[in-house]
Amino acid sequence: MTATEILGRLKVRFGDAIERADVPQDDRLFVYVLPAALRDVCRFIFRDLDARYVTSVGVDDRAGSERYLVAHDFAFDRDRILACVLTYAPEAEPSVPSIADIVPGANWAEREFKDLVGIDPVGHRAPKRLVLPDGWPDGAHPLRRDVPWNHVPPGYDDTREFAFDDPPDGCVVVPFGPFHPTLDEPAHFRLYVDGETVKGCEYRGFMVHRGIEKLADSVLSYSEIPILAERICGICGSVHNVTYAQAVEQAVALRPTPRAEFIRTIMLEMERLHSHLLWVGLASHILGFDTLFMQSFRIREPIMWMTEKISGNRTTYALCVIGGVRWEITPALRTELRDMLDVLEREWRAIAAAVQGDRNLQRRTRGVGVADATLVKEMGLLGPIARAVGVAVDVRRDHPYAAYDRVDFDVVTQEGGDVWARLLVRVFEVFESIRIIRQCLERMPDGPIQQPIDAELPAGRIGISSVEAPRGEAHHFVITGDGNRPQRWRVRAPTYQNLQGIPAMIRDQQLADMTIALGSIDPCFSCTDRLEVIDVRTKRVRVYTQDGLLALARRTAR
Amino acid sequence: MSVLSKLREIAVCLRAGMVTLPYPFEPRPAPERFRGRPIFDGAKCIGCAGCANNCPAREILVADPSQEVRIIKYLGLRCTYCGRCADLCPEQAITMSRDYETATDNVRDLQQHLEIFMGTCTRCGRCFKEPSPLEQMKLKGYRHDDLEHDRWVYASRPFLNGDSVVRDIDIEVEW
Amino acid sequence: MIGAVAAAMMNILLALLVAPLLEGIIRRITARIQSRKGPPLTQPYLDLLKLLGKEDLETGVSPGMQRFAALLALGAVLAVATMIPMGLRPPMDGAGDVVLLIYLLALCGISTLLAGLAAGTTYSLLGMSREMMAMIALEPLLAVALVLGAVQTGSLRLEAVLAGSVYAGTGPPVAGLVMLGVMVLAFQAFVGRVPYDMAEAETEIMEGALVEYSGPKLALFKYARMVKLFVYSALFCALFAPWGSAWMFPVGVLALLAKTLLLVLFVTVVAATHARYRIDQAIRYYAALLAVAVAALIVAVVTV
Repeated sequence: MTATEILGRLKVRFGDAIERADVPQDDRLFVYVLPAALRDVCRFIFRDLDARYVTSVGVDDRAGSERYLVAHDFAFDRDRILACVLTYAPEAEPSVPSIADIVPGANWAEREFKDLVGIDPVGHRAPKRLVLPDGWPDGAHPLRRDVPWNHVPPGYDDTREFAFDDPPDGCVVVPFGPFHPTLDEPAHFRLYVDGETVKGCEYRGFMVHRGIEKLADSVLSYSEIPILAERICGICGSVHNVTYAQAVEQAVALRPTPRAEFIRTIMLEMERLHSHLLWVGLASHILGFDTLFMQSFRIREPIMWMTEKISGNRTTYALCVIGGVRWEITPALRTELRDMLDVLEREWRAIAAAVQGDRNLQRRTRGVGVADATLVKEMGLLGPIARAVGVAVDVRRDHPYAAYDRVDFDVVTQEGGDVWARLLVRVFEVFESIRIIRQCLERMPDGPIQQPIDAELPAGRIGISSVEAPRGEAHHFVITGDGNRPQRWRVRAPTYQNLQGIPAMIRDQQLADMTIALGSIDPCFSCTDRLEVIDVRTKRVRVYTQDGLLALARRTAR
Repeated sequence: MSVLSKLREIAVCLRAGMVTLPYPFEPRPAPERFRGRPIFDGAKCIGCAGCANNCPAREILVADPSQEVRIIKYLGLRCTYCGRCADLCPEQAITMSRDYETATDNVRDLQQHLEIFMGTCTRCGRCFKEPSPLEQMKLKGYRHDDLEHDRWVYASRPFLNGDSVVRDIDIEVEW
Repeated sequence: MIGAVAAAMMNILLALLVAPLLEGIIRRITARIQSRKGPPLTQPYLDLLKLLGKEDLETGVSPGMQRFAALLALGAVLAVATMIPMGLRPPMDGAGDVVLLIYLLALCGISTLLAGLAAGTTYSLLGMSREMMAMIALEPLLAVALVLGAVQTGSLRLEAVLAGSVYAGTGPPVAGLVMLGVMVLAFQAFVGRVPYDMAEAETEIMEGALVEYSGPKLALFKYARMVKLFVYSALFCALFAPWGSAWMFPVGVLALLAKTLLLVLFVTVVAATHARYRIDQAIRYYAALLAVAVAALIVAVVTV
């Protein structure tokens, strides 16, 4: 189906409920629907047309349309189309019908726009706080346009606590986090444990908020945001950087130069290489297998040296500007990169051969943290998690960007959906990435690496872009704005969806398997938690005295 | 076979030998493109303030105490070493050094302070045009950042209109 | 009497001196396997000194019991050390028999249980329950090995049992060799190293029972753990490879140290190349070993 055909089917079925539609290019579809028809349209797209749910975005568009805007993004993977269903919410007490019961994966995203933009998802089953801290005053919504970036609302309530669900009968509560050796960043899982078996869990995260989206739409300018975007995640330096640049470029119909597209591809694949090697290392460490951890990191190190030579830094590459990239790959670097890949491939083959037959590792990873195809569909699970179930979701193939339409590669899938399958997917994807980089080096055309821009970017255009990050699809939504900066920029990192699948993955598992099950999605909390304004007072509250900590420890232990 | 794969793993380990580097006992030079601490060259600077306009971390302050003098101050506090200032400098007055051992107990060690004499500058400090519209801040005229308190005050008075003030952001730096 | 006390003291001193060195060797070998340089051999001594010099924080629910558990951990394992031949003067003759030894060994584990219980947080209780499960499966295994020796020699006396007694008795030492195999396979678990360190499991339950301990108390637990490795090695040598230990001073000690080094090398390589098992998997493994051990014991009883 083409985008126009999908639009045709929607029009036939919903008629006047489709207010207007826009097909700016072959692989993008924007449909504006009436709020009353929103649920039916989403159900039709998600169930009947079998699209994959991507994310939901709330926008304060009072300056433009005098209303609020809600966008639900879907991906038609077979048809290579990214679609966006938009609906307006009234200015006074904005609300939209919730779709979380139709699309379970929308649970968090709807809670997020309720928190941050103040658009109420009517009919949401559990509209608890997701992003804002527990004591944040009601009615203060940081991402509204009339809230300055450094605004601290009055009325912070230290005593308010998050209302967790009641634990199931006969279960003890084991707090996992906010700080735990296997969590590199704070996040809290409240585990309900019977003996050593986990019966359920509830997540309360979003503790590392940096106000990145707010800064972007109120302080920074278009070309400064990539530098901030790459700091969303310590590992995915080029992923968010490229996704943001692509979203803006799509919005204003600007194409980066071909050479820049190839360089972006190379850097994205370098990133996948070092991220996958890092994951294999960390997973081994979680399992107590520190030797594999050290060896993975040893093999990974030359990749980091190479990225440092190309971009001047090991992880934050400062790669993209709108319309191109900043770092040229010179012939000397090309030779060095080739040599590095040869060594890497040889060493990783040895590791892969050794690990595949390791029954000791298999005993800890087989049948652990299992996801199935239904869970993948319902929660919108992504990347290696989905591919380990045998669902071949790969944005590089499904929605080609940069130079991925000009290279050959296979989408690695496994069966079983457990941690072992995820391990194998990542181990083998390393070889595909090496293949892609080699092809890029061969086929890279000569030419400039930046597209000259001689006019200001038009305001009010919407751009959506997806990039296959090492952990799955990273998705950015941008509305261009005045003053040389976007009006709204929404980041959906892959962990945002994958984390929502965790409660189902660890149910009825051993407590000992919790860490590796969680580790197997390679959770990146800083990506997930990227927004919200820093609140000085929250910080103060978090400084416990020793007595306070003791009391807290005892309280949680009981 | 598990024992076999364990042996293979040991073989991988032993073949690698010892890879620990003797840093910091021996220096470890950074690669050519390394983006370390930016170094400002006062002799080359023409005072265009393009670096200040495009610093994502708002690390470069500009103040115009008089028609002839422009002060450019690099704070060195939360600089991310992105290198945009060096990219945009029309005179290559900013270079990204390979200096990465910048730990200090006095933040002023990293600060740089340039006083540019604008009056006799034959190239005219204020005629620099940034490469594309994306780099252009929508603010013209004199800048009055608060150098004493290292505050970036983005309240800039348009050149001819004495009344309107563009107040964009107001970032206070603390340490 | 004075001689016996002196012998015991010398054993204790030897154990206290050598144990951190063994830990240092483990770290160095592990580092080499992991392509690292590794810390100097003296690092464990320095670590212990550092911990001992730190502030003693009382963070658990019953601080008194926590202090007691820490002392008990090191005390119990040192008490075991006094009873095992280490190539110096013979251990405390007649001070106790094999049954006492079994109880003392159990006490080492009990100190960990006590530590977890006294700390009283969720993770320490989890670590405690895991330690308990492991103990229930492991302690009988050791008891079976000692009883096998007693059966073979017909005596419960320490100096009789702790001298390669498993191979005594008439006919080919089938039972003893089977037992040797079982104990080699179980040795990793006795000294609580990867892949059988699930009672501590830093990345799962944050050191389990020890999660609330710091400073001097942690130093005592760490020291106990190091000494435990040496004492269990000595016990293993006494039961299964006593050759050379009875020779005169320095040879006896050196022979023991050489054998201990071999065991440590084995423990290190296994620990470095394995992922941690889950507690249920480990218990199944211990149970299988126990079944084999009991079978060997029955064989021995029948053939004596």
